[in-house]
Amino acid sequence: MTASFTLTPVEKGIMRCIHTSKFSHEDVRSLANFLADYHGKLLIDLSETTSEDCAKQLKQFRPMMPTAAIIGVDLDPAALEIPDSYYVHEVRHFQSEEQALAWLREQ
Amino acid sequence: MDTQNAIDVFIKETGSQVAAELEACTRCGMCAEACHFYQATGVPEYAPVWKFELLRKAHEQRFTLGGKIKLALGIDKPVNEEDLKEWSSYVYHACTVCNRCALVCPMGIDIGHLIAGVRTGLSAAGFVPKDLEDSVQKQIDEGSPLGVTDEVYGQRIDFVDDEWEVDIPVDKEGADTLVIFSSIEIMKFPQDLAAITKILNAAGENWTVSTKAREVVNFGFFDGNPEHKKLILKRVLDGAKEMGVKKIVVTECGHAYDALRWSSYNLVDVPKDLEITHIVGLIGEYLESGRIKLKEKAFNEGTITFHDACKIQRTGGHIKEPRMVMDILAPDSFKEMTPNKEQNFCCGGGGGVIVIKDADPLRYAAFELKMDQIKEVGADTVVMACANCRLQFVDCVGHFNLDLKVAGLSQMVADALEV
Repeated sequence: MTASFTLTPVEKGIMRCIHTSKFSHEDVRSLANFLADYHGKLLIDLSETTSEDCAKQLKQFRPMMPTAAIIGVDLDPAALEIPDSYYVHEVRHFQSEEQALAWLREQ
Repeated sequence: MDTQNAIDVFIKETGSQVAAELEACTRCGMCAEACHFYQATGVPEYAPVWKFELLRKAHEQRFTLGGKIKLALGIDKPVNEEDLKEWSSYVYHACTVCNRCALVCPMGIDIGHLIAGVRTGLSAAGFVPKDLEDSVQKQIDEGSPLGVTDEVYGQRIDFVDDEWEVDIPVDKEGADTLVIFSSIEIMKFPQDLAAITKILNAAGENWTVSTKAREVVNFGFFDGNPEHKKLILKRVLDGAKEMGVKKIVVTECGHAYDALRWSSYNLVDVPKDLEITHIVGLIGEYLESGRIKLKEKAFNEGTITFHDACKIQRTGGHIKEPRMVMDILAPDSFKEMTPNKEQNFCCGGGGGVIVIKDADPLRYAAFELKMDQIKEVGADTVVMACANCRLQFVDCVGHFNLDLKVAGLSQMVADALEV
């Protein structure tokens, strides 16, 4: 069985996470473990996911995310809202990969 | 800002025991060498003895002849607003109330308690750093400093139930044990909830979580306001009373354990027969009694070390249990840091320091001592049983770009359970 997300390096300090299909329970657990261990920044590409799965998973993964830029999907900004707190990292939505990477490099 | 409020609290805090401790201090400076903030920066004002100076000064000026004469002759000045502002940075930004200083004090002074008294005075006068004050207010208003409202709590429990395929009992009638997670685990490390569920279920514990007593952290212990401490403690204890449980288990949180297990008895009514323990203590009990069994040598690769949390190991005394786990899971790969156990250095993020953005440079500086310890032992994995320490480690691993895995003890135990 193939995982529903892939992780590939973009450049030093930034990984690309592509969400490719519906999450299984195992995928969610693997991603949660990855996020607990990962200390860099993320470029999250959601171009190959369904809006329903995307909305469901984003809400739950949002508190665990490092500084991240999301591309590849039309996103309601409310999906990324989270109560402000000291443990929360900034996550933004961008229309293009170029914009997203430019922002990530500044963080 | 009301300076007199602070002075009144300093005087009130100075009961016979505190007065004796203030008089007993010889200013030997040994506490300075024990403090990670002083060691990391060399700033003399970060020495613990200096951090409780306002308490001593207020006591001296109010109760001693020498203090009164110095005031009358203008040799000394009364505590003023500038003092309070200055000390706010010493006791909130550069102190995690880890109380390592008390261990080395030749006069046996409970220095952490004195510094907490300074925080109480500063809180009464309105000198709590804003970031911390906002988090405390959030806990009072919403029940959690990290935004875990009733709705969010339910959603996170459902998330863990669904995705980790466990069954967390919620408000279960007739449960013996109430398990209360910290909001750091709920929001940042939800896998901890699943791990602890697996351990408790494997042991056959009759347990529940409560939608009323759903937050174990107590930020009142960070700002120092006794009313905040009591209010938050009462929420937990009222929930426990309502459920009729015999035991409360604090999960991977340090200060919450200190608050409930040790401090609560001096602040609120704690049911007489209610047992309060930490998940690490419970894991130790389960292992000793054979209620759970772990796969031997399950993590016996690389070099693993254990970070002793100030409030769980130094204050709480749960020193042998993590070693018991390591002896089973990593008999060859486990190596102790130096210093360790009750002498271990704080991670630098406790006592509310991690909440205060302006304290970040100090927090990172203090962590450098921890980095040295880890480097010396050559560890590639560091394990701990406090989610706040873990948050500090994860943040610092990123900040310093370290090649170090940070793990929770409960997670390791759950992953190694013999089913």
